[in-house]
Order: sequence, then structure tokens, then C-alpha cells
Amino acid sequence: MQRFEGQVQLVLYPFALNPISEVATQAAWCAGVQGKFWEFHQLLYRRQELWYRLPAPLERLSDFAKDVQLDATALKSCVESGQTQDLMKADKAYGQQLQVSSTPTVFINEQRIVGAQAESDFVRVIRQELERVQRPGQ
Amino acid sequence: MAKKSRARARASRSQYAPSRAVVVQRRWRLKLIVGGAILVLALGVGLLARYLQARSLQERDVAPRLQEKARETRYTRGPAGAPVVIKEFSDYT
Repeated sequence: MQRFEGQVQLVLYPFALNPISEVATQAAWCAGVQGKFWEFHQLLYRRQELWYRLPAPLERLSDFAKDVQLDATALKSCVESGQTQDLMKADKAYGQQLQVSSTPTVFINEQRIVGAQAESDFVRVIRQELERVQRPGQ
Repeated sequence: MAKKSRARARASRSQYAPSRAVVVQRRWRLKLIVGGAILVLALGVGLLARYLQARSLQERDVAPRLQEKARETRYTRGPAGAPVVIKEFSDYT
């Protein structure tokens, strides 16, 4: 991203594939309510091993919240209230419209990349897209 | 001597040579196998063509939806209106 600064926009769609992931996705949205979406988003991946097998991971996720200076009680009640459920459902619906059936799925403009790929592959496609859109007459 | 051996050879050939009915049967079997293979191949090509057509229709359907702008509530990095937009769908588990 840094090497293409100003030329690329990343839009993130947390795409919950199971009930545990739904809780995590809602927690991320709720962290966003407190202005800490990206910090919590990264934390969820970094500490994945600690929560993703738990049948009810909200307690553990609330504990993590303190580490990124979030109000853990507010985060927990936000998730429990279901106030971010609509956002999550909207993302899911959008993903389904785009025929996203597995994650990660990435669209670089209209080019679909499914599954984990090497960074060099993304760089190559981004370069191709930049060349394509910057070509005169395109 | 030579006459005798020629006659013997002819006799042995006719003894082991397949009958006309068997030859015809083998030819038909071969024709059936080749015909079946051609049919399977044609069906395969047809199905592949239909699949590719359906996929390209789906892709065409997907493209305009990808043009949709990110909602205000969406978390993004990088400037709005950038020439390249990356939309990442990822699951936390």
C-alpha cells in the first residue's frame, strides 16, 4: 500500500463465515464506534489463536479491548446490543452479490483474486491496473 | 517340398484367422468406441462452453456492482477516487 501511496484505496469488508467470526466482526465494528477499528482489526489477527476456537469469544475479545485503550464494557454492550449487525449483514450481502464464497477474496478494480497470495502477485496486478487506467484512451 | 509347405501355411492361416463374423463384430466395436469417444468429447466441449459463458455473464454482472462506492461508514485506507480500488473480503477466523 505504501509504495502506491495516493494511487490505491483499500476498502475492507469483514466477511463473517461463521458465528464466531460474526462476533469478532461486530466487535471490530464496535471498536470503530470508539475510533479504534484498525487497531482492533489488527489485534484480532495477531491474537487469533487465543480466541477463534472459543464457542463464545466475546469475553476474551473484551479483554483485548483494554490493550488498545478501548472501553471494554462499552465494546461488549455494543456487540450484545447487535447495533452493528446491519453493517455486517450488508457486507455479507454485498459479498454475495459479488459471488464471494471464500476468504480472503480481493478485487483489484475488477480483477478477482481468491485465496492467500504472495505480495508480489498483488503488486503485479496493481501495476497492471495502474498502467491500464493511466493509458490514454482507456 | 515347397508346394507342401505353402499348402500347410495356408491351412494354418485359415485355422487361426478370425472368421468374417468376428471381423465385422470387431469393426463395429471399434466404431462404437470411436463414436462414443467423439460424443463424450463433444458433450464435454459443449458443457465447458456453457460454463464459460455462464461465468462470463456472472463476471459482467459483478463488474457494475464493483463500481459502487464505499459507504461512509466503511473503513478505508488511501484516498477516495484513487485509480485503483482494492476491495478486500476477509474473515477473522
